[in-house]
Amino acid sequence: MVARMTDTAADEEQERFPTLTEAGRAMLAFLREHPAAPIYRNHSGNKLLAHEVRDVRQFEREVAAASVGWPADGKPAWLADFVRDTCASVPYYRQLGAAALTFELLPTVSRADFAADIAPFVPDSADVARMINFRTTGTTGHPLVIASHPVVAARYLAFHKRAMRRFGVELTHGAGQVGVVLLGYQQRCFTYVSVTPAMGESGLAKINLYPDDWRKPEDRATYLDALAPEVLAGDPISFTELLKLPLTLRPRVLLSVSMLLLPALRAQLEQRFGCPVLDIYSLNEVGPVAVFDAAAGGHVLLQPQLYVEILDAAGNPVAPGQRGEITLTGGFNFCLPLLRYRTGDYASLTIGADGAPVLVQLSGRSPVRYHARHGWINNIDVTHALQHLPIPHFSVHQRADGHVVLRLAQAGSRLGADARSALETLFGAGAVSLEVLTAQDKTVQYSSDLEGAHQ
Amino acid sequence: MMEKSGPDLETLLHRLAETPAEFLAEPRVGNAGAVHVAALVNDLLALHGQRATLAALEHFTATGADVRSERNRLALVMITGWLLADAWLINAALPQHQLLHLLGAVVTELAQAGVAHQFVEDPDRREELVRVALARLDYRPAGETVAQAADRLSRISGVERKRLLEASRAAEQRAAEIRAALARKAAEESADKWSRE
Repeated sequence: MVARMTDTAADEEQERFPTLTEAGRAMLAFLREHPAAPIYRNHSGNKLLAHEVRDVRQFEREVAAASVGWPADGKPAWLADFVRDTCASVPYYRQLGAAALTFELLPTVSRADFAADIAPFVPDSADVARMINFRTTGTTGHPLVIASHPVVAARYLAFHKRAMRRFGVELTHGAGQVGVVLLGYQQRCFTYVSVTPAMGESGLAKINLYPDDWRKPEDRATYLDALAPEVLAGDPISFTELLKLPLTLRPRVLLSVSMLLLPALRAQLEQRFGCPVLDIYSLNEVGPVAVFDAAAGGHVLLQPQLYVEILDAAGNPVAPGQRGEITLTGGFNFCLPLLRYRTGDYASLTIGADGAPVLVQLSGRSPVRYHARHGWINNIDVTHALQHLPIPHFSVHQRADGHVVLRLAQAGSRLGADARSALETLFGAGAVSLEVLTAQDKTVQYSSDLEGAHQ
Repeated sequence: MMEKSGPDLETLLHRLAETPAEFLAEPRVGNAGAVHVAALVNDLLALHGQRATLAALEHFTATGADVRSERNRLALVMITGWLLADAWLINAALPQHQLLHLLGAVVTELAQAGVAHQFVEDPDRREELVRVALARLDYRPAGETVAQAADRLSRISGVERKRLLEASRAAEQRAAEIRAALARKAAEESADKWSRE
């Protein structure tokens, strides 16, 4: 029985780490067995075969060398072939006879379409045996399972590197070092250790800063300092928790994904860790899309083969410079090629000085109007009113009677009081109340029950 | 399929109804029959500006397997050859692989479902042959949308209905495999990304 268990464990390790060397095995042991290590609750791995590691490295070189964008009055050169191949190989589009349609007449799809059944969107060529999934619960009531592949997961790094290069950061770590620690701060969190073969089997740890995942809370700082990762990835909530720890580590860069990163929190993080903090717009459906660059005026696109349209509610392109829904075609997930995928996120689009398109005033989910003291204002005005405060995450809801509820984890602190008075400059004294937002809440950031709020 | 707008349906139906006697003659099977169908196919391809390999033409010489079914198959190749000699189709510059696929696998399947000369004499079978031929060449009759053409083809053609059913079964099986693959424990574990959304 013992021998069989060992065989099973060996098989699982082989599947998770097909190219693992002794150095990689030692890194995994270091991450798992450090005296201050957290309780790792799950398993994962890079799952890359040897030839795929080479492919991933080649892909990184191609992404680094490629330009991003398209002519101001046209479409990218790769688009026509991509659309033709997708219409021929994806059952959903084949059934529609979509190949006969011009690009603008192709139907748009949304998260709800993928949530209903992802299978018709997976091309005939996708290898079922190697398929993996990425799952999100989201805030729109449509739990989503995204078909993906180990190579697709590994390709994320190419776009992170492109984003870092924009801020003068070139990764230098390799064998025997820890490349990245992914931070969460949730009651329940998927945690594991791994190695990145394209970076000399450097270490990767996904950890939960929530105290329950540690033998003692002080271990968090001890462990992170011992790992000394070159990159820390997280979201505004986990980074806020990170700021509370007595750390000495000096990462080269912080990657913030998933949520709006307010400028004040970014400034705090940059000052504390002495490195750039990259605010990356990334979706499970398509990976890293863009990185925020204040000098460019917004989020600069990262993927050479991703075409962005900005559409109105009826699915028509808006006038240049107007806000609308970010709609994507292309991507690097060969298990889910996207044709006019409506993200549910909003921005306007301009072309930056270097030719790369820029998403301006990106905001998640459907825009909401609030009725303020001097008439209707946009949810972006609310963001602006709060941007000087280091708030990790918040939500603003206007009730049908016009009263505004501001929720944030720090509702009972000075930060909460400051946030309320910032909103009262918009809505009037006494018009805003505070409630506590827990880290587990998956909230819609902006919402309203007021008539006329959703146009 | 049927992405391109093609010729007028009525013109082709009329052409089939008026198939000349030479194209309704007996195909050569063993020692019987007059028409060497491989030579006829060779002439047809020449009309389309193409030259076929001997290996490709071999398919149009009767095998010794089943005289009756071979006779029927080759008779339908002759009728379909007459259809494909239409001026509109000749001007369309059809790829050779499509022509050979139509005269080969598609005609074999149609011949298994009906008597060759019925595709000339019976109005419904005439329409079936014309619609199936156009569809396999990626055309639809002039003036019809893809949806209309697909609907009319599946109404008139048992062969098409069978093809659609098989394609639908294959698609459903593939979709089930994808759903099962994504539900596996190993797929749930996912794989490394340097950031998590």
